[in-house]
Amino acid sequence: MRALVVERLTHRFAAARAAALVAGSGSGIRIGPLRLADLEPPELPGPQWRRVTPLLSGICGSDLSTLDGASSRYFEDLVSFPFVPGHEVVGVLASGPEAGERVVVEPVLSCVVRGIEPLCRSCAAGRTGACERIAFGDLRPGLQTGYCADTSGGWSDDLVAHQAQLHRVPVELSDEDAVMVEPTACAIHAALAGGVVPGEQIVVIGAGTVGLLTIAALRHFTLPSVLIATAKYPVQKRFAEVLGADSVVKPSEIGRAVRRSTATLALSSSAGAIERLAGGADVVFDCVGTATSISDALEVVRPGGRIVLVGMPGMTRLDLAPLWQREVALVGTYAYGTEHLPEGSRSTFELALDLVGELSLGRLVSAHYPLDRYEEAVRHAASAGRRGSVKVVFDLRRQDPAWRRVAEQARPAGRAAKRGAVEATA
Amino acid sequence: MSIRLPRRIEEVVVRPTWPGTLPRTIEPRNLGVDYDTDWARSRLARAVRHAVTEGVTRPVVAALSNPTIFGAEHFEAINGPMIFAANHASHLDTSVVIASLPDRIRHRVVVAAAADYFFDRAWKAALWSLTLGTIPMERNKVDRKSADLAAQLIGDGWSVVIFPEGGRSPDGWGQEFRGGAAYLAKRCKVPVIPVHLRGVRPVLPKGGNTIRRHAVEVRFGDPLWPREDADESGRKEDARRFAARIERSVAVLADEAESDWWTARRRAASGATPEFRGPQASPWRRAWALPQSARRTRTDRPKSSTKPW
Amino acid sequence: MSPRPGFVLEVDRSTPPTLFWHGEGFRFERLPEGSRVIYPQEPIAAIADFDAAIRHALEHPLGASKPLSQLLFSGMRLTIAFDDISLPLPQMRAPDIRQRVIEAVLDEAAGAGVDDVVLIAALALHRRMTDDELRHALGSRVFDAFAPNGLLWQHDAEDPSGLVHLGMTDEGEDVEINRRAAESDLLVYVNINLVPMDGGHKSVATGLASYRSIRHHHNARTMQHSRSFMDRHNSELHTSNWRMGRLIKDAGVKIFQIETSMNLDTFPSQFGFLQKREWEWSLADRAGFHATRASLERTPPRLARQIFQSIRSPHGPTSIQAGEVEAVHDRTLENVFRQQLVSVEGQTDVLTMGLPYICPYNVNSIMNPILVACLGLGYFFNLYRGQPLVREGGVCIISHPTPWAFHPVHHPSYIDFFEQVLSDTTDPVEVEKRYEQAFATDPWYIHLYRTSYAYHGVHPFYMWYWCAHTLEHLGAVIIVGGDRAAVRRMGFRPATTLQDALEMAEDVVGRDPTVTHVHMPPVLMADVG
Repeated sequence: MRALVVERLTHRFAAARAAALVAGSGSGIRIGPLRLADLEPPELPGPQWRRVTPLLSGICGSDLSTLDGASSRYFEDLVSFPFVPGHEVVGVLASGPEAGERVVVEPVLSCVVRGIEPLCRSCAAGRTGACERIAFGDLRPGLQTGYCADTSGGWSDDLVAHQAQLHRVPVELSDEDAVMVEPTACAIHAALAGGVVPGEQIVVIGAGTVGLLTIAALRHFTLPSVLIATAKYPVQKRFAEVLGADSVVKPSEIGRAVRRSTATLALSSSAGAIERLAGGADVVFDCVGTATSISDALEVVRPGGRIVLVGMPGMTRLDLAPLWQREVALVGTYAYGTEHLPEGSRSTFELALDLVGELSLGRLVSAHYPLDRYEEAVRHAASAGRRGSVKVVFDLRRQDPAWRRVAEQARPAGRAAKRGAVEATA
Repeated sequence: MSIRLPRRIEEVVVRPTWPGTLPRTIEPRNLGVDYDTDWARSRLARAVRHAVTEGVTRPVVAALSNPTIFGAEHFEAINGPMIFAANHASHLDTSVVIASLPDRIRHRVVVAAAADYFFDRAWKAALWSLTLGTIPMERNKVDRKSADLAAQLIGDGWSVVIFPEGGRSPDGWGQEFRGGAAYLAKRCKVPVIPVHLRGVRPVLPKGGNTIRRHAVEVRFGDPLWPREDADESGRKEDARRFAARIERSVAVLADEAESDWWTARRRAASGATPEFRGPQASPWRRAWALPQSARRTRTDRPKSSTKPW
Repeated sequence: MSPRPGFVLEVDRSTPPTLFWHGEGFRFERLPEGSRVIYPQEPIAAIADFDAAIRHALEHPLGASKPLSQLLFSGMRLTIAFDDISLPLPQMRAPDIRQRVIEAVLDEAAGAGVDDVVLIAALALHRRMTDDELRHALGSRVFDAFAPNGLLWQHDAEDPSGLVHLGMTDEGEDVEINRRAAESDLLVYVNINLVPMDGGHKSVATGLASYRSIRHHHNARTMQHSRSFMDRHNSELHTSNWRMGRLIKDAGVKIFQIETSMNLDTFPSQFGFLQKREWEWSLADRAGFHATRASLERTPPRLARQIFQSIRSPHGPTSIQAGEVEAVHDRTLENVFRQQLVSVEGQTDVLTMGLPYICPYNVNSIMNPILVACLGLGYFFNLYRGQPLVREGGVCIISHPTPWAFHPVHHPSYIDFFEQVLSDTTDPVEVEKRYEQAFATDPWYIHLYRTSYAYHGVHPFYMWYWCAHTLEHLGAVIIVGGDRAAVRRMGFRPATTLQDALEMAEDVVGRDPTVTHVHMPPVLMADVG
């Protein structure tokens, strides 16, 4: 099978890092650790595993970090080489009684997936994202499908997934909607972790895929009085407003915008630039994860407020004095698990499946690339905002007519028309 | 980020700590009125001061203020030491007076300077003693030590420059003359030469932070000898009344500076000399009534501008 | 040689290109044949011995008022209020008129033995003046006598203990002014009348008032009914101020008003070509103009601003009168009109104007887009008597670079106004309804107004109301050479050249429109018949 694979070649990681520092993210793709290979398809690790043929696989910010060699070294023990990246996957079951059925893959390789019994504390409580056995069990170490040598990943023609990872895709969702399920689940998990009380003022920093989905999730699940977002590019600004931000400003203007909306006093320099607010927003969601974005968050959060770190950060240099003096909580949110809502507990993935359909979040998919144009795909994903795009995906839907017939037989005719329209844009 | 010196250097440079179990005597620090300025009158120090006065003080004073000197002939005939009593409006007064004295006196003069301001740190005390020949003196009362020192120096032939106001004028008008100069003159039986400095305040006023050029006039008056006999009212003249007499002389010199000698003489005779201490009125009217030569020019540099460029 | 009056030139093929101001720079524009250009009067001679004129005015007051010397007595409480940095434009050469008048008043006060004197800069809701600016306006002698003693104040319209409410007029308008001024035995006001809007009862009723008072006449409705606010007899703004002024007088506040008018000698000799008619430029003028233009092209905007803001004008005083407010003001207006009025026959379809780098609200600062609109559509448009120069539904074309730039210290609330308010609506009535309250009471703007050098939070709204009558009257506003995004944000149309602008104007007023250009500054007021 064809697959993009990341191998442990330290010099290539270093080269990619250097290129990224000099010429920006994604520019080291040629000299980096990723290559297109022809591999043996993965073996099924056990009887409860299924083979999945990917249809669409998303490129995520954390993937780009890995390819730039910029991921924190913290993750080194939580991945196993060589691995096939791709953890935002919608595919079809390749065999068995339900062959041809579309599924999305919940990539976290938790206790159940690894065949570990008894379940660890987190998994038992439904918090699969916080599984404590991520490097143990039947599989080699790996946080998720897409970081593990045994499972393959979305950027290939074939991957294997445990039954517990698979969620059926309702027929009314398009493939594009379905590929957005995994990032939406992260956003929903983060939005609910923010602990937003109705009537509070929220700020979302960053309007890339993570930021936009967080805005959508916040609007859907919480009741803020004001939601201000920052966006660098016009396409992001437009989507942010459509998905529910009350006001969208440039990142450099966030201090002033929050000061206006909270009518608070501010400390300004002698040249008039706002340095710090006396009050501020109640909860700030940082969907970027750089030193600049976290300091911006500290600048606009109120004393006693909360900053939720949604975007994956790395080694960061930060002045924590404001955090200490203002008694601010800085919380990390990762992946998903089970959400406890007033109406009952549901898995985040299920909530995400509902939300993508309701908001047609497939429209955030801006570009499709085949696997062999992976270099362009990664470069495009790295500069998505600037190029007027949001989400870039690999399109693995084969043009082979025989295969297509098999796939379409499993679905009602009505879906074909929508798929035809989508393919025209690929 | 803390820097650690290499061990060898640290051991040399950093003073060792005193063991807690040993009693420790605190070394007396001689500052303020207790500062000993004798070293500044040694031959080497005098030679240095001579060079500084001729090479730095006089040229700088000439460049900044180009002083015109009047009345130096009044004390030509006097051979021994004298006390020069001048009005005080600027830190530059001392340099102007020293630069304006005739050669034979200039290098044989000490200046009484406020002990709390010029002698509070060792480096300051050393600097002023060396370059200007200052000796410490209390502003407000006659300190035994400084008075004894000044008397001893006068006995050795040193002239003394004193500013009897005790400090610089805050608003351009004069302040009451204190008794220090008068007391010394009586004790050592030497004359007091009244001096009026006109136009030094605009150069560097009290509270200013910029130096500007302005023409200066230095006027020396007739020598005032301390009186032994009783005066008109039948009382002996004590230090305070002598100080008032000195103040009146300076006021007449000030009048002479603003108008002319004859007008000043006539007004002095009829008791109509303009008030040295200014009108008794609100601060704005006092400032309003200042003569041009005592007004601040635009001295202070503007503080941080609000312009973004 | 007596100064030539202002006149209206009809442009023909032999007419040389016309000089248009363009912010910190100039452009030569060819106006279409048949256009009219209105030129201001040449500067009237200034009073030769101004100090004598001052003394004369103080001793021979107008109206029912005693001479100043008889109003001063020892032990009294005297307050001297004076116009702030907004006047004159450009800033005057030393000595400033205020300095000369106040020195004369203080000489009298010193002679009378008055101890309790306070000087107040009548800011209303403008920004505080820096020490340098105060020193320039008052002179070193006055500044050094009063500032170090804490007797030089700047009016604080947001200090509850510094204000006193004198009552309400018949129309229900609050009259609340500076407490020290109201409770003095005598309030002397030193005014400079640059344009006919200034002076009269407006000096005290606006200059020393609080927001609570000012909002009664600084609002969209009043400004829409001021046609124009430069003509006091047809101005709701002035009618309201006159009501308040009379209430202040009836409340027992004794005001000795000193007003001055100035001639139009606006630019120093090296910029003399700016005051001369283009066909009369000498060789020196032409060389000077081209040298200036060439060096400006190489100058970065910040430096260009600094250079222009440091221009000091040789304005000369043409009259000074003192005494009772209304009598004094009528005489002042006579003198202002004497210098500034130009008769013009009939209205026009298109009005063009080139805006300079300075307006009353950006002295030593940056001219942001809102101030561009205020200067053009507020001040310049309204310098008419009778009827506006443009017909109703006509077009106004403004030439100014209109940079999207704001001074963060002087104009903080303008930034938020531009970002938040104008992106929502540009209708003055809606702007007032939805946003004025929040901006006027925002604690941070108030803090900056009181302690920093910032205009009050509500001030950008007043700039917008100043255009209210104009926006109702005109069909369209086109800005030539301006930042496109900034121009659009204000609801106007951007054009690159004057020719493009005239073509765009034809869409609104029809083909072959009549065009009139006002050659301002120096200031002129059109008497439209």
